[in-house]
Amino acid sequence: MRSDGDVRRGAPLTLLVDGQAVAAFEGETIATAMLARDLLAFRLDRGGRPRGLFCNMGVCGECLVTVAHGSASPRRLRACLTPAADGMIVTTRPDERR
Amino acid sequence: MNDDARPDYDLAVVGAGPAGQAACLALPDGPRIVVIDEQLRPGGQILRQPPRAFSVRGWLEGAEYRRLKARLAAFESLESVEWLGGCSVLGAREAGEGWRLALSDGGGVREVTARRILIATGCYDMAVPLPGWTLPGAMSAGGVQAFVKSQMLAPGHRIAFAGSHPLQLLAADQLRKAGGTVAAVAFSQPFRRFVLKALGRPWTALTNLPRLMSVLLMGWRLRAAGVPIHFGRAPTAVEGRDRVQGLRLEDGAVVACDAAAFCFGFLPQSDLPRAMGLAVRPARPGGWKACHDAWMRASRPGAYVAGETTGVKGADAAAAEGALAGLAVAVDMGVLPLREAVRRAAPVRRARARALRFAALLEAVADPGPLPDRDLPADTIVCRCEDVTMGDLRAALAIGADAGGVKLATRCGMGVCQGRNCEHGLLALLGGVSTEPHGFTPRFPARPIRIGDLLAED
Repeated sequence: MRSDGDVRRGAPLTLLVDGQAVAAFEGETIATAMLARDLLAFRLDRGGRPRGLFCNMGVCGECLVTVAHGSASPRRLRACLTPAADGMIVTTRPDERR
Repeated sequence: MNDDARPDYDLAVVGAGPAGQAACLALPDGPRIVVIDEQLRPGGQILRQPPRAFSVRGWLEGAEYRRLKARLAAFESLESVEWLGGCSVLGAREAGEGWRLALSDGGGVREVTARRILIATGCYDMAVPLPGWTLPGAMSAGGVQAFVKSQMLAPGHRIAFAGSHPLQLLAADQLRKAGGTVAAVAFSQPFRRFVLKALGRPWTALTNLPRLMSVLLMGWRLRAAGVPIHFGRAPTAVEGRDRVQGLRLEDGAVVACDAAAFCFGFLPQSDLPRAMGLAVRPARPGGWKACHDAWMRASRPGAYVAGETTGVKGADAAAAEGALAGLAVAVDMGVLPLREAVRRAAPVRRARARALRFAALLEAVADPGPLPDRDLPADTIVCRCEDVTMGDLRAALAIGADAGGVKLATRCGMGVCQGRNCEHGLLALLGGVSTEPHGFTPRFPARPIRIGDLLAED
């Protein structure tokens, strides 16, 4: 839940998370955009159970998602470290299990 | 870029928290310095800055933060420093007269060389396995705090805090001020243990009275806001189906919440020192702290360590160690006479000693006790990356495997976190830690990277 205190966020932007349009603001990480939209699952484990982000500081790797942006090939990036960008396509459930 | 060439930099600083900042500020003008950090902006976890695209009024107020912010501002105005934000260090190896660092910015891998390297990578929340702790919504308290500090986000509607470290009061207080709802704060230990541990170090407690009072004040503010604060009630399970719906405490009561934040203490970031072959020692409550001499020189030439990489001790001690490392680099480069370094180091050493006394008090007070691994149900996941359960570990331990053997047999520690979340728990199960070889063998890369990116490297 975004704090509505004394904060002015960046320009509005939209990214796609698993096909769903998610509104965010410049400066937010992919993780923030997802959590603010109540999207808590960043991957499935081997048992098919949803997994959430844990450390939010790049240490645990639980928030690795597949990110495609522009013409660059998709990458596996930590959602907690990666700024959201307009038109970004995020997939939490890639075909290949990691 | 071959090994005989002049290195790209005189000094590479890994980590832009208080230690890394203080090192740069202690160095005289002249050396070519690069500072590398995974965050886009400097500050470290204690000052996780909001992005440049945000403007936040009254960000992290209070006297303690004011001093930290003043140092950060001084660091950010240094013109001698090249800033590489949003960049992970995958590894560092000795090369010619210095160190060769492999870096990733998410877009690819590249290398830089530096004559000297300072590892000031801080610490991270110690993961403590519990049934249900892999449900979406279960997080480290540091992670929750980072959302509040840098993203102005409460990562849940009702967040329950649980653990043994008083920092959870600060995290809960900051969350509440940011408009979040704190469902409860539960401490594993009884209140009297806090008092007894503090009384065990009366002089330190007395000289840090304002700090201790500020912690009590946070608790009081939370209570006044209607937040239940429990003592002597450890968390025993996270409840929920596909996401967190409650946090079960020792007495069986369930706190209704949609997110849980755990705060059992912190482990030094030790991937780089260990992979670089630097000497480390067991840390408390777990993990490994890098060894150093009185000038923060590590066990190999040209390598320095400072801050929580050398043991969890708070921002003041970290900054003092960073300053000592900066002075040492200047002496070793021949740009500062030893006599002058000794003179400048004297007040820094006094500040470090003071801060270490408080850190020892905090460590005693926050002691999580034995990791509650032994009684865990067999299906509790311990290694989050590879879904290795307590039962898997018990089976491997029953045949007499050591940490390396358990890793091979179960994949515990083989995932993207490189054992950061499970090694300490496994070692506790193995009956404690005495020396380094008992842990996992540290492996390149310290952070996740696509194999294709490594192959594409020149």
